[in-house]
Amino acid sequence: MSSLEEQTEIIQYVPFMSFVHPSFWHTLTEQKLDIDKLNENSKQIFGRFTYRSDLGSIFEVDGTSFNSTPENEQFYLNVKGKLLNKNTIEDFKNIDKASLLNTVGEALWKEIKNRKWIEDPSTLLNFIVLSFADLKKFHYFYWFAFPAPSQPTIYLGEKSTSISNHFKKEQLESLAQAFKSLDLEQKCFFVVTKSDSVVIVETLAEVLLKKGFSKDILELDFTNTYFGFADSSNSNNPGWSLRLFLAAIFDLYQNLHKNDLKIIGLRCNSNGGVENSLIFTIKASQNIQAVESAGWVGWERNDKGNFGPKLANMSASMDPVKLADTASDLNIKLMKWRLVPDLNVDIMKTTKCLLLGAGTLGCHVARNLLAWGFRHVTFIDNGKVSYSNPTRQVLFNYQDSLGGGRMKAEAAADNLKLILPSIHTQGIVAHIPMPGHPIGESLKNETINNVNLLTEAIKEHDVIFLLLDTREARWLPTLIAAHYGKITINAALGFDSYLVMRHGISDSTATGDASHENSFIPGGQLGCYFCNDVTAPGNSVKDRTLDQQCTVTRPGAAAVAAALAVELLAAMLQHPAGVQAPAFYNLSSETENDIPLDMQGVLGPIPHSIRGFLHSFQSVLPTCAKFKQCIACSDVVINKYKEEGMEFLLRVFNSGTYLEDVTGLSELHLAAEMTDMLALSEDDDDDA
Amino acid sequence: MSIKNGITIEEFIESCNKFCEISERLSDGWKFYGNEVDKYKSYIKKCSFLQQVKSDINTLLRAEFVIFYNLSYGVPSFSFNVWNSSGVLLSLEEIRQMSLISINKDNFFSIITQQEHPVLLRPYFVIHPCHTEVLLRELKEVSKNIIVTFLGLVTPLLRLDLPFEYGL
Repeated sequence: MSSLEEQTEIIQYVPFMSFVHPSFWHTLTEQKLDIDKLNENSKQIFGRFTYRSDLGSIFEVDGTSFNSTPENEQFYLNVKGKLLNKNTIEDFKNIDKASLLNTVGEALWKEIKNRKWIEDPSTLLNFIVLSFADLKKFHYFYWFAFPAPSQPTIYLGEKSTSISNHFKKEQLESLAQAFKSLDLEQKCFFVVTKSDSVVIVETLAEVLLKKGFSKDILELDFTNTYFGFADSSNSNNPGWSLRLFLAAIFDLYQNLHKNDLKIIGLRCNSNGGVENSLIFTIKASQNIQAVESAGWVGWERNDKGNFGPKLANMSASMDPVKLADTASDLNIKLMKWRLVPDLNVDIMKTTKCLLLGAGTLGCHVARNLLAWGFRHVTFIDNGKVSYSNPTRQVLFNYQDSLGGGRMKAEAAADNLKLILPSIHTQGIVAHIPMPGHPIGESLKNETINNVNLLTEAIKEHDVIFLLLDTREARWLPTLIAAHYGKITINAALGFDSYLVMRHGISDSTATGDASHENSFIPGGQLGCYFCNDVTAPGNSVKDRTLDQQCTVTRPGAAAVAAALAVELLAAMLQHPAGVQAPAFYNLSSETENDIPLDMQGVLGPIPHSIRGFLHSFQSVLPTCAKFKQCIACSDVVINKYKEEGMEFLLRVFNSGTYLEDVTGLSELHLAAEMTDMLALSEDDDDDA
Repeated sequence: MSIKNGITIEEFIESCNKFCEISERLSDGWKFYGNEVDKYKSYIKKCSFLQQVKSDINTLLRAEFVIFYNLSYGVPSFSFNVWNSSGVLLSLEEIRQMSLISINKDNFFSIITQQEHPVLLRPYFVIHPCHTEVLLRELKEVSKNIIVTFLGLVTPLLRLDLPFEYGL
C-alpha cells in the first residue's frame, strides 16, 4: 500500500526543546560561587524528558540536576549530561562549537562501540550545556546540545501509524504493564515481541545477548518483533533519542539494512495507558555510511530559529538589589491598591531631593524619604561625624565617628546605600555661606566656590530641604531656591519645639499679599522662613555659650519634625496643584470638611506650617503670606541677586545690616520702634 | 456570629495529606513536602506546563503552585510562579493578562503581590491571606477538606483546573 515516494522519505526526528527552571540558575550560581569558583572543568548534571503524550519534546533541567543521583518522576527519564560553564563571555563566544560537539560525539561513540549500551541503554542518551554566567547582572547565556551522529540515513517505510493498528486492546494493556515493570534505565530502549495472546517486553540485553545469537547478524522474527523506545515526541515524527539507538544498532549489525524494522514510539497518557503510541516502520539505505566518517549534530536552535545561544535574564528574580527595590516599592503600591487609589507612585521616584544639613534632621528626613519611595537624595554638609552624633543622627554609627570622623555628607550617602542599594545618592562637602559672617580676602574664593556648588545643586534638584542648625545658614538657600522656583521645605528645632513649613516660590504674577477676605493663600504666595521675622539674620552663634551651639533639643523633636517635613512634601506632590497647593487659614479637623475636595489633594489639605510644642504635646498650623520686605524671598532681594549676583551676596555676608537697608527694614524698625521686641524674639527660632 | 480562628498546623497537614491522596488517584500532580524539622514549613506543590497563545505565537510556560501554612493568619496560603523556557519569571502584569476570568486590574494587584516566599525563600506571587481568612472562617464548618475549599476560592483567579472529583 505504501507508495514509492513514501518509501524514500527520510526520517525526521523531533529535536528536544530545552526548558530551564529558575532553580537551575539558582543552584548553578551557588555552585559557581561556593565550590567551582574559577574552575572551568565540566560538571556532570542530569536532565530529564517525559514520554507523556500530552507534552512535546521538552528537555528539562532544574536545581536537582546538580544532584549526584537524579530524582525520579513518573513518566520521566533522566539523562546524564555535562555542563561546560565558561568563566568569560569571550571563552563562551569563541569556543569552536562544531569541534566541541564532535569531540563530545566521538567520546560518546567510543562508548557505544564497546557495546555497554546493550546492557544499559540509557548510556546512549547524552546532552551538554555550554554556558556563561554573568553573576553581577544575573544574566545567563546558555546553549544546549543533544549530540547525535548525522549518519546513517534512515527512511520511513510507511507513514507512522497508531499502535492500535498493530496491537489489540488487551495486548496494549499487557504492554503497558510490562513496560511499567522495566527498570528505569531500560525504559529508554527495549524490545517488544507479540505472540497471539501475550505481549513480551524484554530488555535489549535479554534479546541481543541471547545464547547462540550471532554477534554480527540479528536473527529475529521481524514481523512480530518491535524495538520500543520512550518517545519524547507528541507529533507524527519520532523523538530525538531514536536517532542514537538506530545509529548504534545499524553499526552493530551491518546486515540489518536488509530488514524493515518496526519501532514503537511509546507515549503514555496520564493513567499510564500506551494507546497514544505510534509505530514507525523504517529501513536504512543500502550503502550505509559509517558514523565515524560523518559529523555530529544536535545544537539547539534559539527562539529566533537560528543556531545560537539563549539568554536568561534573571535579574528581576535573583538580583538582591532589584529584589530589595521592588519589595520596598511594594509598600507604596499597597497603599495605592488598598487605600489611596489615586496615589501617584512615580512622582516620588522621579523627584530629586536636596538635603541641606546631614545632622539629626537630615538623617531622619532621608530615612522618611526612603520609606515614601523617593530614590534621589543628595546631602550637603561640611561637618564630620563626632562621637556624640550616632545616637541621634540615625544614619551614622560608631565606626563613622572614629579617627576624627567621616565627612557627614559622604557617610550619610554611603549609609543610605547600605539601606537601599538602588537609591541614587551622593554627599557634597560644602559650607553654606551666611549673612553677617564676614569673609576676608583669604576665604573669598572658597566662599564663591561654595555658593556655586550650592547653586548648581539647587538647580539640579526639585525639592530643597532646609535642615541646617542655624537660622542664618538658611538665608542663601532660601533665596536661591525661591529664585529658581524650587519646592522648599524647612524644618527647625528649639529645645522642645519645632517648626516645619513650606515656602512660597518666586512668582512674578503674584501681586502683593493675599487678600484677607480669602480663606486661603495660594501655595506660591506663602511666606518663607524669614517673612515673619523683621530682622536680618546676624551671627546667632556669637553670643551663645558653648553648650548652646550643640544640639540641645528633646530627641523626639527632630524625629517628629523630620517626619512632618517629609509628609508635607508627599502631600504637596500628591496635590494636583503641587507647589501651588493652597494653604487654608484655621485648618482643623472641623474646618477640613468645608474645603472643596479638588483643593485638598489625595492625602488631604496641606498646611503652610506646623509649629509643635513637646512640653504640651500640641501643635498649631499658622498660615502666613509672603512679606514684601522679606530679606530672603521678596522681589527686591531676588532682583538685586539677579542683577548683581555674587557681588550682592558677598556684601550680605560681610554686613549684618545690609539686607535691612536693601529691603527697607531699617526704616521699618525705626518707624515702629520695635527693635527691643525683635531682639527678644530671635531666640525662638534658634534651632539646633 | 461566633468567630472561629483559622486552622491549626496539624489540621493543615492532615488536609494536605488527604488532598494529595485524592490527587494521586486522579493523577492531578499535587505532592506533599513535609518538613520534619519545622512542620510549619510543610507545603504541597503542583507543577504543570501551560500553553500561552499570544498574537499567534505559541509559548510554553511552566507554572508552579504552592500551598503553605500562614502562621499569623492560621490559614492556607496560595503562592505561585510562572516562568518561560529560560527560567525567567513572568511579571504579575503578564500573569494577569493570562488569567482565565477577567478581573479588575486594581483588585488583582490588591490581592496578589510578589514577595519572598516564607517557606521557599525565593520570590513568589502570594495571594494575600486576609481575604482568605474571612472566607474560610465561614466555610470551615461545612468543608470536608479545607484545601479543596480553599482551592475552590483561588482557582478562578488562575488557570488551575480543579477536578470535580476532589469534592466527592
